[in-house]
Amino acid sequence: MLRLAALAVAGTLVVTGCANRGGSETASGANYPEKDLTLIVHAAAGGGSDLTARTLAKELESDLGRSIVVENRTGGGGRVGLTYLKDRPADGYSIGFIPVEVAMLGHQGADIKPDQYTILGQVMNAPATLSVPTNSPYQTLDDLLAAARKDPGTITVSNSGAGAIWEAATLALGEAAGVTFKPVPYDGGAPAVAAGVSGEVQAVMAGVSESAAAAGNNQLRILAVLAPERVSSLPDVPTGKEQGVDVVIGGWGLMGAPAGLPDEVKQRLAEAVNKAASSQAFKDVMTKAGNTPLATSPDEATQFTQSEYDRFGQIYG
Amino acid sequence: MNALFEGFGALLSLQMLLCIAIGAGIGMLVGAFPGITATMAVALASAFTLTMDPLPGLAVLLTILIAAQFGDRVPAILINTPGTPASIATTFDGYAMAKQGKAGIALTASAFASAAGGFVGIGVLMVAAIPLSTLAMRFGSPEMFALVIFGLTMMVEVSGKQLVKGLIAGLFGLALGTIGRDPMDGSDRFTFGIPQLVEGVPFIAVIIGLFGIAEVFSQMISRTRGQQKPITSFGRWWPNKQENKQLIKPVAVGSAVGTVVGVLPAVGGDIGGIVAWNQAKRLSKQPEKFGKGSLEGLTAADSSSNAGVGGSVLTTLALGVPGDSVMAVMLGSMIIWGIQPGPGLFSSQPDLVYSIAGIMLVATVLALGLSLLRMRGVAKLLELPDRFLWTVILAFCVVGTYAVNNAIFDVGVMLLFGVLGLLLRRYGFPAGPIVLGLILGPLAERNFRRSMELGGLETIYTSPIAVGLIVLGVLAVAVPRIRARRKARRQEADDSDTPTDPPVPVEASR
Repeated sequence: MLRLAALAVAGTLVVTGCANRGGSETASGANYPEKDLTLIVHAAAGGGSDLTARTLAKELESDLGRSIVVENRTGGGGRVGLTYLKDRPADGYSIGFIPVEVAMLGHQGADIKPDQYTILGQVMNAPATLSVPTNSPYQTLDDLLAAARKDPGTITVSNSGAGAIWEAATLALGEAAGVTFKPVPYDGGAPAVAAGVSGEVQAVMAGVSESAAAAGNNQLRILAVLAPERVSSLPDVPTGKEQGVDVVIGGWGLMGAPAGLPDEVKQRLAEAVNKAASSQAFKDVMTKAGNTPLATSPDEATQFTQSEYDRFGQIYG
Repeated sequence: MNALFEGFGALLSLQMLLCIAIGAGIGMLVGAFPGITATMAVALASAFTLTMDPLPGLAVLLTILIAAQFGDRVPAILINTPGTPASIATTFDGYAMAKQGKAGIALTASAFASAAGGFVGIGVLMVAAIPLSTLAMRFGSPEMFALVIFGLTMMVEVSGKQLVKGLIAGLFGLALGTIGRDPMDGSDRFTFGIPQLVEGVPFIAVIIGLFGIAEVFSQMISRTRGQQKPITSFGRWWPNKQENKQLIKPVAVGSAVGTVVGVLPAVGGDIGGIVAWNQAKRLSKQPEKFGKGSLEGLTAADSSSNAGVGGSVLTTLALGVPGDSVMAVMLGSMIIWGIQPGPGLFSSQPDLVYSIAGIMLVATVLALGLSLLRMRGVAKLLELPDRFLWTVILAFCVVGTYAVNNAIFDVGVMLLFGVLGLLLRRYGFPAGPIVLGLILGPLAERNFRRSMELGGLETIYTSPIAVGLIVLGVLAVAVPRIRARRKARRQEADDSDTPTDPPVPVEASR
């Protein structure tokens, strides 16, 4: 009997775990928000996306006057979190941090598209950087491109993993410059950078935060940042455009909710997100992490997301 | 030097000391409960520590591991049941001593030997950190591939006598490791449209299922847990001067063997303890006492399994390859925290390495203190009725596994592997090789395919390190078997040629 009791405890825990999924109320815009909000993050606690989301949550809390519970739904390279968010009721009590993967996963076999979400605004950019080992013969982006042009498909460029944004960035850069690189996926951003430091690959495609640290230790030389203009943490590194290759690519983050959010709720949330993303506290955290803080309107952000979705369609097409 | 101060300095906060104290408490407890392994405790705790900062989180996990390898000696000595696999060899002489009414000395000597071994391992971790970091940079994808292959050969040793069943289990683990996104072209493999499987089978759920849940299920069904009455007469608690002197050699042997075994990827304190016990027996002046209550055998085994912790941590940090199954779980946590063990960690974050060594030092001292203070109290906890023990373990497993990803899916995987683990146990298949295959298989694949991208097979056979490691792996598997066969043949020849020869005493006594 007591053996059964022990099993029953396990069973009960499973059931209660499932039970708290139900329960949604219709939001009436005027009194919104009437209860606490949940902010869904696709990445694990402690990572960069989590930090962005939690910093925003703190600012949003003081504006909305409600607590915001950050919930990490990790797995599948963002698939689990994004799927979970789009299936939540569109009542304004489930919001989420939406990463660049929202524009990529749909082209990689997942049922994820930008129009499944109500987009509230873009909050950050994480531009791509291209670096080479310090002892590399290539001093400028031109040198590297010339080498790739001479022997197509031989210049190895490490990235954080197959299907990740930095692999796409390598393909996009090659396409824009009319050359073919050989992208080599590693098991995360740090190993990709380490492969550049040890000279196992000829170049590294990574985010500003990852390559800036290695460049600071004089282990890597950053040839280009693929942003619209130079970034504040790397004032001496020219953009791709300055060097004649007009390509802007990298990670980014939006705040959003499931599609079909009532208009008043959407407006209230978008206002709050814009205010939070414009706050000094948020800007400081973003800049420290090597990212560019942003605060765009819902329309701008929606348009941007759609254009990114189309662009990744071309890259993977 | 600077990194040393910074690293140790990071420990000087109330939060860090509290985390170490909590870890020590949990570790001593889980160690004393037979069935709850350090691997399982660390896996469970890692679900909760993931929400913490890396350093306090690591403090909890490392301290649990270290303290568990003090606590597990108590049931090993008192009821002949190892609290964790690391104290398997402790039972050889520890229980024998307890039966002779010398449980007090056994417990005290075991605690000191465990601490001494621990210090040696940590010392090697700190001193070898610098040379290893330069060596570590020479470990590219081809070398990592070779190293993982070397690690995979340990499946043979882990399987013990059930070689064929062990290898079948290992193959099953390797097959599980192919589930998830293809590491090179990004397409999905064997995921059946389940998004939770895109990043592979959740291995913490698999580990908790195979070890923890399977153990509980097995006990629930068979109820065969050792019901021997705990020893009541403890005798003297402190060894005398002469006994102390006797211990120097076995502790030295144990610490050395333990560190080396610990550095080898994928072998843990259980094997370290057994090997050291064997080695100390060969070198002892009184080998005949081993297994019958030898203080030397007890201390050699205990110092070895704890020296192995330092070695395992060293391998895990310097090479990014798990030093044993506990470190495999910890490696997972570190990666989620954004700490990337492997080439570069020692040069980019030397202070973190010293912080880790510092945590281990404090944890060892604390665990030693707790062991000496609470030995008699901990022994009492073992009398907790099974039904409470099982309920608590089950609840912890479910909650812990759910917390890793906030996913019921993971709980399902855990229960599935719990049932599977039970079946495997019934039919004599070891679970260890499955975990080895699941963790090392994807590493082998990635590094091999990456090497192929970077320059083909040439990258492997032109690297002296890679070739050396693969040769070592082949030798590790082949030599013991060739030697055993030659020995058998020689014995056969001896038997027929010189039947009048007296048998070799030591060999015969086995």
